[in-house]
Amino acid sequence: MKRIGCALALAAALVLAAGWAPSLDYPRSPVSIIVPYGAGGGTDLIGRALADTVKGSFPRGIAVENRLGGGGSVGMSYGQNARPDGNIITNITVELVTLPHTGTGGDISHEKFIPLIMFNSTYSAVTVQKSSPHNTLKDLLTAAKTDPIQVGNSGIGAIWHLAAASLEQAAGVEFIHVPFDGAAPAITSLLGGHIDAVTVSYAEVVSQVDAGELKVLAVLAPQRLPVAPDIPTATELGYNVSVGSWRGFGVPLNTPPEIVAWLEKTFTDGVNSPGFVKFMKDTKNDIELLSSAEYAKRLARDYEMFGKLINDLGLSK
Amino acid sequence: MFTAEVFANVFEPLTLLYLVVGVAAGIGIGCLPGLTATMGVALVLPLTFGMEAIPGILLLLGVYVGAIYGGSVSAILIRTPGTPAAAATVLDGYEFAKRGEAGRALGISTLSSFVGGMISCVILAIMAPWLARIALKFSSPEFFLLAVFGLCVIASISGASLAKGLLCGALGMILACVGIDGITAHMRYTYGNINLLSGINYIPVMIGLFAMSQAFEGVEDIFKRNAVTGAIPSVLPRRSDLLVMARVAPLCGLAGTAIGIIPGAGADIAAFVAYGQTKNLSKRPELFGTGIPEGVAAPESANNGVTGGALIPMLTLGVPGDAVAAIMIGALTVQGLQPGPLLFRNHPALINSVFMGMFLANIVMCLMGFFCIRAFVKVLSIPKAILTPAIFMLCVVGSYAMANNFFDVWTMLVFGIVGYFLNKIDIIASPAVLGLILGPMAESHFRRALLMGRGSYGVFFSTPLTWIFWGLIAFSLFLPFWQRRKGGSAGRK
Repeated sequence: MKRIGCALALAAALVLAAGWAPSLDYPRSPVSIIVPYGAGGGTDLIGRALADTVKGSFPRGIAVENRLGGGGSVGMSYGQNARPDGNIITNITVELVTLPHTGTGGDISHEKFIPLIMFNSTYSAVTVQKSSPHNTLKDLLTAAKTDPIQVGNSGIGAIWHLAAASLEQAAGVEFIHVPFDGAAPAITSLLGGHIDAVTVSYAEVVSQVDAGELKVLAVLAPQRLPVAPDIPTATELGYNVSVGSWRGFGVPLNTPPEIVAWLEKTFTDGVNSPGFVKFMKDTKNDIELLSSAEYAKRLARDYEMFGKLINDLGLSK
Repeated sequence: MFTAEVFANVFEPLTLLYLVVGVAAGIGIGCLPGLTATMGVALVLPLTFGMEAIPGILLLLGVYVGAIYGGSVSAILIRTPGTPAAAATVLDGYEFAKRGEAGRALGISTLSSFVGGMISCVILAIMAPWLARIALKFSSPEFFLLAVFGLCVIASISGASLAKGLLCGALGMILACVGIDGITAHMRYTYGNINLLSGINYIPVMIGLFAMSQAFEGVEDIFKRNAVTGAIPSVLPRRSDLLVMARVAPLCGLAGTAIGIIPGAGADIAAFVAYGQTKNLSKRPELFGTGIPEGVAAPESANNGVTGGALIPMLTLGVPGDAVAAIMIGALTVQGLQPGPLLFRNHPALINSVFMGMFLANIVMCLMGFFCIRAFVKVLSIPKAILTPAIFMLCVVGSYAMANNFFDVWTMLVFGIVGYFLNKIDIIASPAVLGLILGPMAESHFRRALLMGRGSYGVFFSTPLTWIFWGLIAFSLFLPFWQRRKGGSAGRK
């Protein structure tokens, strides 16, 4: 079944490529997708799956290249300063609009990229142990008024720390923020009962929720998540907080508009292909598709929002 | 447990082929400096997307087992640990090669890796669900004490002078301070360079200190004839070596498995701890570092012992035991399988196929290792004028390939020069690597433990596990003194 899906996707991509290629002298050379995080991680897996889906449109090949360091800033900086010919595409992540505010982004800036498409988003899920006495978000936040509640995150100043902090702001409580080196150790610590809650993404806790080890009290999302329609949003519960992470592709500023348009179309078709949709479903990731223009607005909006939040938290440079 | 279905799954010809190819690829990847087991598994991962679950996962397991073993080959032959897991093997392994006994050391390494791996498989297959819960008992106080326990090994790997070893270990820990501090996000010694934000990566440092420094030294006598020849009498370990292994390997394999179960502690720590503690318990500690069989058997059985251990929390709880297990969680998820308690309940045949695949991967690794020893040793008969530039090239490519960041190549070169001069003044570089690996672990867990304990140092004494670690630390620090005193009175030099 999987093979048939891939074959169909490939065929679709080939047909598209045939229809588009004559009008444009691109791609003439091999194209690289820069993933600023490690091979085998979430960003890498999705990036590779999407690259695999569209490889028929790139006759000279499309390859994923992991450039690590600086919490994502090294790879994104490389990508934004590459020659604007469309041969270097960067897998941009929410860190593009958070790291500049914390002063740890080097020269990275969302204004130095033309966003192609956004293909994935994930939102913070306030998660506790299944046996926790807190059954609703309100329980947890009420308890936080009197007791010290330890909330684990994926690193200081990282997106899920910002999520917990903005919930704190909205509810007028204080948590003890416990930063871990990534989301996985934070979840492990919660499983062991060493902390009270985590605010990492829904995608990262879903397997433990399905296994009956953890429960999600609320998601910090604008709407209920398609993958979890039963879980309320914080906004519904009276706390106006929405903090999420996203993944997308961008090319350097000054890339010719016809190349941008071709890439946007190619990747949009890739995201909608059955193979990619199945991959995202299997890995419990949501597809949220934004066009180049919508994505640019989202980047500007998030840049403002995180700037204010990081400043309020005293984490700005 | 191993039903007919499991046999049919694993002994399907194509699946077996993938397993064998995986082990071979793993050994190759492991040999090359910079290409770690983690990288190897990550590189092969995309190939499994189009495969069925069982062949795919067995391919990855093959790479994992092969790579952890493969690191020792280059450690023994050219003093270049192919993976951090083999950093401890250099200490005695290369001494064998210097004496022209590389084949003997490789034989010991192969068989010990096999013993360690098999022990971890047995534990994985029969005790996984029970042991997994222990993994969750580990919190920051325990991790901090584990790191301190690991740092105690510096005393064992310092060579002749403890002071030099401690100095070197401190150097490693100071280097580990560079980067964004993980608790308060303070930037330490980053000088506005984004490459330093996430700290100094220990892999290029390791390649520099061990391999590059050795290559620099190789330049000095590049036109000399090779002192050691590729001729070896037999690849099978001799009787006396077997006796040593029978004593050391099972215990170190067990220790490795235990460390593998702990999430976040991997093969590099296990190998060092096994080396240090075997030396502590040995009747001839003064011979460690001069090329004795237990100096190779201990780290090699321990690092392969980690392989099965790391799979325990991954398969049973969906919690990664080390970086490789984290990637395997990704591999299983792509197949639509969620590691964790549900996997055991809903897919028992898959789980048992994984167990059986681990056994087979270890057997294949052992056979392949013995089969290839003669070929491996041929590397030493390559003239220095060719071998030395080749090592230079491997060092550069290896440190670049890891993160595709040229900054790492400069790091490697700087530490190559540092390592060259450390060699000249008889300082063993291993404590620096240990400090660099364990320093960040000790620091972040120490501060997180205090954060979680709201500033009270009582957290470091709050659970039975912490007391066990205090006991182990006391044991490993005082045993050598006690032994030296006892040895001294018996008239030992």
